[in-house]
Amino acid sequence: MVQAGLFHMILRSCRRAVAPSPGLVLISPPFLYALILLAAPIVGVVMLSFWSQDFLEIQRDFTFANYQTAWTERVYQVLMLRSIKVALLVTVATVLLAFPMAYFLSFHIPKRRKQLWLFLITIPFWTSYLVRIFLWKVILGYNGVINGTLTTLGIIDEPLRFILYNQAAVVMTLSHAWAPFAVLPIYVALEKIDRSLLEASVDLGDGPLRRFFRITLPLAMPGVVAAVLIVFIPTVGDYITPNLVGGPNGLMIANMIEVQFKKANNDPLGAALALSAMALVGTMALLFIWATRKYLRSPS
Amino acid sequence: MQRMIRNGLAGIAAVIIGSTAGLAEGSDLVVLDWSGFDDEGFYQGYLEKHGTPPSYSFFGEEEEAFKKLRAGFAADVAHPCSQSISKWHEAGLLEPLQIDRIERWDDVNANMKEAFNFDGNYYMLPVDWGTTAIAYMPDRIQAEDVETLQIFLDPDYAQQISLPDNVDDVYALAFLATGVSDWTTASEDDFARASAWLRDAHRNVRTYWRDGAELSQLLASGEVSIAWAWNETPTTMRLDGVNVGYNRSPVEGSSTWFCGYVDLAGGPGDESLVYDFFNAWLEARSAEYIVNEWGYGHGNQAAVDALGSDVLDAAGLGAVSVPILFQSPMDNSLREKMIAEFELIKTGF
Repeated sequence: MVQAGLFHMILRSCRRAVAPSPGLVLISPPFLYALILLAAPIVGVVMLSFWSQDFLEIQRDFTFANYQTAWTERVYQVLMLRSIKVALLVTVATVLLAFPMAYFLSFHIPKRRKQLWLFLITIPFWTSYLVRIFLWKVILGYNGVINGTLTTLGIIDEPLRFILYNQAAVVMTLSHAWAPFAVLPIYVALEKIDRSLLEASVDLGDGPLRRFFRITLPLAMPGVVAAVLIVFIPTVGDYITPNLVGGPNGLMIANMIEVQFKKANNDPLGAALALSAMALVGTMALLFIWATRKYLRSPS
Repeated sequence: MQRMIRNGLAGIAAVIIGSTAGLAEGSDLVVLDWSGFDDEGFYQGYLEKHGTPPSYSFFGEEEEAFKKLRAGFAADVAHPCSQSISKWHEAGLLEPLQIDRIERWDDVNANMKEAFNFDGNYYMLPVDWGTTAIAYMPDRIQAEDVETLQIFLDPDYAQQISLPDNVDDVYALAFLATGVSDWTTASEDDFARASAWLRDAHRNVRTYWRDGAELSQLLASGEVSIAWAWNETPTTMRLDGVNVGYNRSPVEGSSTWFCGYVDLAGGPGDESLVYDFFNAWLEARSAEYIVNEWGYGHGNQAAVDALGSDVLDAAGLGAVSVPILFQSPMDNSLREKMIAEFELIKTGF
């Protein structure tokens, strides 16, 4: 009896030692994948950023010079600030436009139609990102849709030139491209709101506005925070859009990173710029989460 | 217009397909080329001999191709332009041409082939060249206004101007406008003056164009009226029935550029395929095709001359009497400075 018990114990501990627990088995492939394809390249970029380059040769002597250049030279400061400004404007525009859409979807569409509506929101993704940017060139162009309409209606004599090839065009194009990414998290947060809380607030005398700001918005904040992060973080580093619709004053930091890696033969500076942008964006995202932390606590 | 859109879309599609699929199916020769250069009109002789076209991989700009090769992409021949050759050579990517295997070597444009004679070895077979000058829309711009390059500084045309997003063409313009027509002898002061001129011109720029299709659209749509353009653009726009002017004789002069094939070191394919490909390119019918259909010049000077001055003048490739800045290779350190300065100027500094 005792022997049998001992035997089982040994067997169990052996099995534990030989076969890892199912949790580890499940997580190792994605973990390895992330390690090889995400962590390793980042380590490479970090190392690169502390080296220097002389035309074609990479010099492997440790130096802070790239970071010094990235943070002190005027052109990089301006591009970095401009990228953050553009990304903030895009985020604000996207979230402000997405919230009413998500609200309508959650509160005014009958349950059986919601799937169809969610499906319709993804329509912009049926075409490539590049094609959508070209579409905006057609809309905003000199003889494009907007100028054509306004001239035909006699509102303007000369086509407007200030609507394309500048930062405003970049903001507009990016806001459109990222709208669905903002609608979905906000929609999910709104769906989770207990409708009886809204009734209770009306019963206690709240009007529609007070009800919105006291109940709906605070409870939807996790969705809003997610939308802000999802839109803000990638748009800082976008380079296709500024390239195509940005014109002379619409270039952003990612365009400069590309230049360093290609034409300028300065991979280390490109790496330092990329990591600086990453650090800046990461800090801003963490600050934002900290500032909105009271809305993110799970109700318990 | 339709042709233009088709070309533009084909270009975009080629870039997308080229970057994702990598290689098109074909025979054993691997060619790393500008998108669009897989046009069979260029290498009929190769097709007749081997039946299948080479495998093509495309690039949109030379730096992209350079990075790809340095990262280990295996190709037999590539198609850089004059300013990149010495950089590629220094990086050890090129092997010398065996000129005795090139049938029409003596017909090849002497200026261009001699530009890449390093220590008695030739490294580039010039195949295509063109001119860079003022393209303008005659319905909005008077011909006498484009008699000088200073039109690019004229505040009356602010926001109606497009310059190339290409450091060589843009500095060719700036050097010419400040009185330098040979940049291999340019001094520090010349460089500073040219850069200052470009800074002034930047204020008038609506956008910097990246490829011929984009520029055609900018001009035809009315977005811009004057551009520093390759002769290819007016040629193809006229084939579409758009009336566009091209002046290669402003008082300060205009520019010519050239590109060609290089034999990459350690290519996977058979060397004899490489030379079959080169020889097919140098045939007279290829020269005739590229001049008439693409509006480019050709490296086979004898074949180009045989086309006659009428054809060349119409394509914007004929002789002119003003100074010509020939985009010959320059000192790498000056070029590095030009690149850095142009990026600053484009950003508004």
